[in-house]
Amino acid sequence: MVCRDYPRCLGHPFRLLNTTMTHTQLVVWSGFILGLLFGVVGQRTHYCTAGGLREWWREDNPRRAAALVIALSFALLGTQLSVAFGGLDVRPSIYRQSSFSWLLMPLGGLLFGYGMMLARGCGSRALVLLASGNLRSLVVLLALGVAAAITLTGPLAPWRLTMTEWTLVSWATVSVPELFYGGDPVHHVARLLPVAILVAVLLRVALVNMKLYRHPWEAAGAALIGLLVPAGWWVTGHWGADDFEPVPVESLTFVAPISDAIQYLMLSTGIRAGFGVTVVAGVLLGACATALCAREFQLRGFDSPRHMLRFLAGGVMMGVGGALALGCTIGQGLTGLSTLAFPSFLAVAGILLGAWLSLRGPLRIREQTAV
Amino acid sequence: MQSIIHFSRVSRLLATFLVGLLHSVHTVAAQQGRPAWERVEAIQTLLNGAVPRPEAVRLDLPSVTQDGSSVLVTAEIDSPMTPDNHVEELYLFALGNPSPELAEIRFTPLAGRASVSTRIRLDRSQTVVALARTSGGDWLSGSRDVRVTVSGCLSRDATYQADDVMQTRVRVPPRFKAGQASDIRTLINHPMETGLRKDAAGQPIPEQIIELFQARLDDAPVLTVRLHRAIAANPYLVFHMAPEQSGELTLSWEEDTGETTVTTAEIRVD
Repeated sequence: MVCRDYPRCLGHPFRLLNTTMTHTQLVVWSGFILGLLFGVVGQRTHYCTAGGLREWWREDNPRRAAALVIALSFALLGTQLSVAFGGLDVRPSIYRQSSFSWLLMPLGGLLFGYGMMLARGCGSRALVLLASGNLRSLVVLLALGVAAAITLTGPLAPWRLTMTEWTLVSWATVSVPELFYGGDPVHHVARLLPVAILVAVLLRVALVNMKLYRHPWEAAGAALIGLLVPAGWWVTGHWGADDFEPVPVESLTFVAPISDAIQYLMLSTGIRAGFGVTVVAGVLLGACATALCAREFQLRGFDSPRHMLRFLAGGVMMGVGGALALGCTIGQGLTGLSTLAFPSFLAVAGILLGAWLSLRGPLRIREQTAV
Repeated sequence: MQSIIHFSRVSRLLATFLVGLLHSVHTVAAQQGRPAWERVEAIQTLLNGAVPRPEAVRLDLPSVTQDGSSVLVTAEIDSPMTPDNHVEELYLFALGNPSPELAEIRFTPLAGRASVSTRIRLDRSQTVVALARTSGGDWLSGSRDVRVTVSGCLSRDATYQADDVMQTRVRVPPRFKAGQASDIRTLINHPMETGLRKDAAGQPIPEQIIELFQARLDDAPVLTVRLHRAIAANPYLVFHMAPEQSGELTLSWEEDTGETTVTTAEIRVD
């Protein structure tokens, strides 16, 4: 077969090898492998948004926060390069919808940010911790998954839809590059110049100002986590593209997929696992194997019922907030921002504000127990 | 004394409650004993008193879906497809939709396999029913419950563009084996306007749908599908064909305005 769509065929290993794997199978297995990588790297480098912000703002130690900046800059660079030169189209993803709720995006982010501090880690971190034997994270994950389902499709769903309708705004321009090049998708210079400046600033801040150059392995791990985002876009956007049954265009995110994974466990005879569910499975397995190999697997639980209540509340807030804001610290913070969509900036601002409220100000959480 | 009266009042209440409960359980059980589709007039007319063999049509649908505007359904019957013993007609119904009819499919032995997939619209959680009639006049049935939850994302932009309406796509296997059924996928860009929607000014948008699909291999019909308005936008069909010799496959899609689009594909048989 003659290949007219060069980047797509180049990026499709099984079309070249001529195996019988369907594109949907290819997408879910690739998701599993991306999840494995995230689990391994996350377990080794302790990549954690909540921990990074806490150590930075409370203990004046920006080391783990710098890793977040590195991951963001690589996610951004990889995604924008793929859009400019790889023929990738991220416009069908949920982050780039032309209408969104101006209220629920930052409000959901706020809830998520506060919740992740209560639970001492966001959804993806909880997966890595659970796989290392931390049973507190099991409570967080179950609460997060069920609360997200309650908000997305359960009793809170009608309320969410009504609120969305009331506060819906439609913008013709929904992302930063469109400001510069007016919607022409192949205007490379106009697209990449602001991205290049932004990435250069971010990298300088992380490596020099936040002094991550002293820990090159952590910087490399964070860069790899960042690159998993464009890899996810590539998998669903190129390998999942099909004239008849296209796979939804998405990348790493950890609220809806955790909820879907719980649902899949209960209903697997009647539903199919998508990209997100296999990513979750991959993270658990990858992190668990790494923890076992590194002899870091250790069972941990709660110190007191109050302690448990706090994590439970954190999980619920993350589930509800993540569902309202359409993503978490990874889903909006890396994947959403990598598309440079304006709603993602709102959601991330909400997450940062929520985290700030929990660390400083009148709503701050008092640390009673060392965890 | 006081306590006995009190007790008897409680027990009387309890008895009333129990009787009520039993009654409602009985009613529900009686309703569940009969298949739900028996209450649908269109199906009654179709069957005309015949009793279909249950669970003979295999329906493949997700048990939970977040997007009722496009649900993939596959209906399949394990049956030989010889000229004197094959499945002739297959009817799909969604009992909870404003109009329950989904599609009517007419197979010929050339189809090789009584199986078809398409995407449908489901208004709410409900039961999807398939009825099939064999060349011998037997009726077969199958049904599946589907739970439709609200969509997980915000309102999506229109999935079709006005300038490529009526454009079709088809994928046939590069080679067929003589007499063996292989699948053919096809799709046409079309809004399948239901006539139930209103435009921004509040005026109802008139119904405009693809209503007939025909597949022929040279001059022999393979499959005919009559589509109703609950077929999802950009109608999608997967069907089978078991050709004995090479030829040209002709697919025609007919809109309710009479406009027709015809696509052909080369069929090579080893």
